[in-house]
Amino acid sequence: MSEQQPEPLKPLKTWSHLAGNRRRPSEYEIVSTNLHYHTNNPDNPWELDPDIKMSKWYRKYRNESPLQYENWDKFRDPEQLIYRTYNILQDGQETYVNSLFDQFDKRGHDQMLDDNWISQLLRFYTPGRYLFHTLQLGSAYIAQMAPASTITNCATYQTADSLRWLTHTAYRTRELANAYPDAGFAEKEREIWENDPAWQGFRELMEKALVAWDWAEAFVAINLVAKPAIEEAVLVQFGNTARDNNDTLLGLLTQAQMRDAERHRRWSSVLVAMALENEGNKEVIQGWINKWVPLADAAIDAFCSELGEDPSTAKSATNDFHDSLRLS
Amino acid sequence: MAHLKREDWYDLTRTTNWTPKYVSEEELFPEEMSGGRGIPMEAWETYDEPYKVTYPEYVTTQREKDSGAYSVKAALERDAFVDRADPGWVSTMIAHYGAIALAEYLAVTAEGRMARFAKAPGNRNMAVFGMMDENRHCQLQLFFPHANTQRSRQWDWAHKAYHSNDWAAIAARSFFDDVTATRDAVAVSIMLTFAFETGFTNMQFLGLAADAAEAGDHTFASLISSIQTDESRHAQQGGPSLKILIENGKKEEAQALVDAAIWRAWKLFSVLSGPILDYYTPLEARKQSFKEFMLEWIVAQFERQLLDMGLDKPWYWDEFIRALDETHHGMHLGVWYWRPTVWWNPAAGVTPEEREWLEEKYPGWNDTWGQCWDVIVDNLLNGKPELTGPETLPLVCNMSQLPIVGTPGNGWNVKDYQYEYEGRLYHFGSEPDRWCFQQDPERYKKHMSLIDRFLAGEIQPADLAGALIYMGLEPGEIGDDAHNYEWLEAYKQKVDSAA
Repeated sequence: MSEQQPEPLKPLKTWSHLAGNRRRPSEYEIVSTNLHYHTNNPDNPWELDPDIKMSKWYRKYRNESPLQYENWDKFRDPEQLIYRTYNILQDGQETYVNSLFDQFDKRGHDQMLDDNWISQLLRFYTPGRYLFHTLQLGSAYIAQMAPASTITNCATYQTADSLRWLTHTAYRTRELANAYPDAGFAEKEREIWENDPAWQGFRELMEKALVAWDWAEAFVAINLVAKPAIEEAVLVQFGNTARDNNDTLLGLLTQAQMRDAERHRRWSSVLVAMALENEGNKEVIQGWINKWVPLADAAIDAFCSELGEDPSTAKSATNDFHDSLRLS
Repeated sequence: MAHLKREDWYDLTRTTNWTPKYVSEEELFPEEMSGGRGIPMEAWETYDEPYKVTYPEYVTTQREKDSGAYSVKAALERDAFVDRADPGWVSTMIAHYGAIALAEYLAVTAEGRMARFAKAPGNRNMAVFGMMDENRHCQLQLFFPHANTQRSRQWDWAHKAYHSNDWAAIAARSFFDDVTATRDAVAVSIMLTFAFETGFTNMQFLGLAADAAEAGDHTFASLISSIQTDESRHAQQGGPSLKILIENGKKEEAQALVDAAIWRAWKLFSVLSGPILDYYTPLEARKQSFKEFMLEWIVAQFERQLLDMGLDKPWYWDEFIRALDETHHGMHLGVWYWRPTVWWNPAAGVTPEEREWLEEKYPGWNDTWGQCWDVIVDNLLNGKPELTGPETLPLVCNMSQLPIVGTPGNGWNVKDYQYEYEGRLYHFGSEPDRWCFQQDPERYKKHMSLIDRFLAGEIQPADLAGALIYMGLEPGEIGDDAHNYEWLEAYKQKVDSAA
């Protein structure tokens, strides 16, 4: 039958959707681009009745977001991370962190910490697994709602990184509980997370950010506002406080976790820069930042002041990140 | 002290539920996304995933797995197996990648649903690894076929298929959209991971891997068996959800989700895996028939899992087992007949030797399906190929989106199961397909099948040529007989020797 057909299409060196580009696509582009087929037909994302609840959810919170861009699939992760390279990268990072855990354990690190610091760890460190878990949830939401697979991939790896931080905290919590069985480690974290004034700011910020259903607002609230605030206060500032208290291990651990955070900020910045090509998006993003920053600042204030540290360092580092986005 | 054992600290990683204060629990876990079904949070916290893995274990294991799969590919690339492989096997790969790669990516969204919205903390963590796994499966199954895009335009469909309106893509989307991305977290865990992944991915990945190894395609065999090791881990997310539903008086609801997902998966696999395993794979490479694989993986193993879980066999089980002798033969005949409408070249798979094999595996095949193929063979031998191809489109089922088939020839039983709902007449390929619709008509009622679109004038010109344009198929992509009809030689010789 094929003999009746004129001019068969010629084979290409890559996917047809990438064939127009001048250079050969990278492995990243081959495996990461244009994978959300459910953005093709905005009125009916799924091969089902167009009015099922999930269609309405995706129409409202993804397609009709105030943040609009003609082709979100243009987004590229500046680091072109793919699954294969993510595991190579993070397996190496975990080898480092695990060797820290083991080396410090062999030196009897936890036994050498002073009592005051132990009570600080129970208040300001081990309850952090709840906070990291909220980042895990928020990142998983961005991943399932993002309008381009290249964005979904960054958010997917960020979800895994958040679980990574939670996992470090869980591991250290057990070590501390073993070293100080009566201190309350592995027992009191939920109570502290729910009631201690140090955490209520972050808790309020994240509980509210987790129900910001618009995908782009969730991205702004979590990636541009909440994460930098959390990272500057709970990783950077608390890591410094740890070093001042001879907890070198925690200082090194939070520094290692910051490598992930910096990567998250790099892709977030590139996404913002792309969105800013569209007139009107600057105001949308700035509006959301203005909406969420007071909660984030209050959270930093509460955490740092309870810790006895000056909150301005963390706040100004967060501001610096916002300034780097060139919104104003 | 040595490094802590996983069991000493694992529970802390999943002790992460808290009582929200600044928003309500209902806001944080909306019913339409979480699907808690009124079961209290404390009950969801009893969720215990049978397969436990931590972040450091995950990245180490997965790095090693990828290293294995990618090095097999690199080592065998120069071997250019594809260029000397049987064309039926090449069709298998092209059909497989097109039908699977982007569905894997959709599963990232479904796993993400659980990772964000499951009320069970253990499920949320495991689903993060599930998101990562599905990300892997999509990337592998794009990277591997990409190496072949220069061989034929059909390989482009590994990426393109789900973006198209090809009927097979519509059917695949209809199934995967229904059981994955459009469901709440609990339903995802049951429909996608328990019902689909536990049973059916074994079929497609282990069944096909066995045949691939026999066919000499070691790259494909190592790829898909590596993928299956992930599936067998994250497929275990559904079991604990089912346990909680059953313990909390929701067995009936759980059973309905399982029944619908299994039936819908079966129909899709009858058009995907059935023809591949029983017709496209070269005879000498076939380890087992499709029916034998189904009996082993679905009927024996999966049925036992259902019962162990405290569920019943689906109500249509007898009909399902009966259909193992029938549906995929009809699907195969349909795909071959409508071969211009697919992105791969279907292999007829009906040489005299292959028919002997089919008759042995499916007694009565020659009296039924064989009669149809006799007519096709006669027409081809008599120089009337136009009688062996389509002029228009077949009647398709409003649930599976697949042609309505039954047994032809001496066993004729083709039937259109109809149902009228709110003034519209729907057509179904079977009683269970109709039942799936009746379970939740609101999910399906305004959906337009390819034929509905055709009749509504959305496909222009309203003929096969228009349909091909609508499906995104152009010359160079459209399917034709995989072996360029060379398999007719055996029949010609028969005719010659008879003369």
